[in-house]
Amino acid sequence: MPLWFARGLRRGVVTTRYPDRPEPAAALLPTPPAFRPSLLTAQVAERLVQACPSAALRLSEAAMIFDAGACTACGRCAEAAPHAVAASGEWELATTARSALIKEIPLAGEARQ
Amino acid sequence: MTAVEPRPAGPLAELTRRLTALGGLEVRGGGATRGAVTVRTLSEALEQATHALAAAPGARLADMFADRDARGVTTLRLVWACGPGYLVTEAEIGGDEYPPLSDIAPAAFVEECEIYEQFGIRPGGGKPLNRVMLPPHAGADFPRLGHAPSRPPVEMHAPHTVAGQAFEFPFGPVRQVGTESLYYGLVTSGEELVDLYLFTWHKHRGVEWRLRGKTPREAVFFAERAEGLSAVATGLAFAAAAEAALGVEPPPQAARTRAVALELERLYNHAAAMAALCASTGLTVGQSAAEIALERLLRLNAAAFGHRYLFGVVSPGGIGRALDAGALRRDLPGAYGELRRAADALLATNSFLDRLEATGKLTAEQARRLGLVGPVARATGLPVDARLAGPAPGPYAAHPVVVITEDAGDVLARFRVMLGEAAESVRLIGEFLDAGTGTARAELPETGGSGLGWAESPRGEVLAWVALDEGGRVTRARLRPGSVRNWRGFDDACRSQNVFTDIPIIEASFWLTVAGTAR
Repeated sequence: MPLWFARGLRRGVVTTRYPDRPEPAAALLPTPPAFRPSLLTAQVAERLVQACPSAALRLSEAAMIFDAGACTACGRCAEAAPHAVAASGEWELATTARSALIKEIPLAGEARQ
Repeated sequence: MTAVEPRPAGPLAELTRRLTALGGLEVRGGGATRGAVTVRTLSEALEQATHALAAAPGARLADMFADRDARGVTTLRLVWACGPGYLVTEAEIGGDEYPPLSDIAPAAFVEECEIYEQFGIRPGGGKPLNRVMLPPHAGADFPRLGHAPSRPPVEMHAPHTVAGQAFEFPFGPVRQVGTESLYYGLVTSGEELVDLYLFTWHKHRGVEWRLRGKTPREAVFFAERAEGLSAVATGLAFAAAAEAALGVEPPPQAARTRAVALELERLYNHAAAMAALCASTGLTVGQSAAEIALERLLRLNAAAFGHRYLFGVVSPGGIGRALDAGALRRDLPGAYGELRRAADALLATNSFLDRLEATGKLTAEQARRLGLVGPVARATGLPVDARLAGPAPGPYAAHPVVVITEDAGDVLARFRVMLGEAAESVRLIGEFLDAGTGTARAELPETGGSGLGWAESPRGEVLAWVALDEGGRVTRARLRPGSVRNWRGFDDACRSQNVFTDIPIIEASFWLTVAGTAR
């Protein structure tokens, strides 16, 4: 046991200073998508909805609904339409309201028929 | 894209010949490829064929599952590991009963229970079948692969009293923070554990049911989530099965990249098991040391593949995430050194080793009879490792794995096996990187077929069997993570002269998941 006591003291504190200081390891995490509304046509949105395996995307009349609470950041949407989707880099997603995780992105051009 | 024909050789060829000689049997040329052979039998010959295979030296029943086609006909498939390779026997079952195969091969019992829950067919003889996968509220309209059984399965219970002295101590399903839902029925006389049973169905998500109708590339997303801590191994087994069904072989660089991810998965899981062993023995500083190593390994995964738990790395035909080989070469020695230093300190701590030695013992005979896999089987001396089964050519054929075994069969033996395997994983990763990795991906034809795939996860052999329709969509996918096999050895290990406080130590040394079993 003295061995472990000495080891613990020698190793010191290794936890990070987050949230007081930025967390560098977070840059390595996969993050939910960010959409470019100007390129999000009805056709592109349809393709993204088909590509999403966790049903985080769905279509309404003139918008695409993105539920960050159902997103696993798998990146399949960015693969399906790289010009219109990129990783957001956002990983601090915690909220006290479930509805805050749901975003409505207007479709570019005319409303979907 | 390269089509690969089945070429049974060695013990596999000998068993195929013996099965053919039994009469009424037929070897199918198409279907499972790359080290696996499918033999179609008449249902009347199923019992005889099972007797022959169960008695064959070196043959091990690795899985059993059913499939129900559009005509409503149920087919029973048994997967046998035979030397380097696998043999699949399949037989159509007429009616609601088939021969009681677990009387011949005891390792089939859990699968008999699963098949009853999912397809409503049961072994003859009327033996009670336990509830293992579907929750008690699963009525007739609950999503199933076949149809509901005529009567619900029985609840698993151990004897509640032993000579009037023992009582049942319920524990779970909600346990401490971060631990999966699992219900223990502990039967005890106060200190010593007399018997134990588990309810493992709390995490059932119907993964195999959800895979139907999807393309292999859509389906792998769900397959790897059957057991998230074995995402690479489960995804790889599924992808290999789909590739075998389609006659596709991944490019060698992609196959080596997958193998790198598979070994990284083993490293972080063994570090996590070490941390759990320290937690279960009350060694908090040791736990912290192991968790520091674990965190460094998870960050290494993220630096190398962009995901801490390596999700999305495997994609049928090749790779789904690019490997940063430079980051891996740079950071692996430091992360593994952290693990090794913590392990060396633990191996020099008598109070820790005392808790592990002679705890949760299993014999090689128990492991063989129950069909156990992974470090649990290897700690009893059985050199069971799916990496030895190929496929050839494949990364492990050119870079053979040294299988680490121990003989004692206790928690300490399992811990030593894990440490030996961690060192072996680091060696293999170096060889794979030197040989060259890459992201090339083979195209998948939109065609039908069936195939078997396998991989060695940190908790043992993972098997997957996939059938695709003419449009290349899944009609039936069977996933059998290592946890499905090894939980059946857990109660045997717990009963062997152990006391209450040994149970968390044994559970940490098995390092299984409930999700993989319930899937």
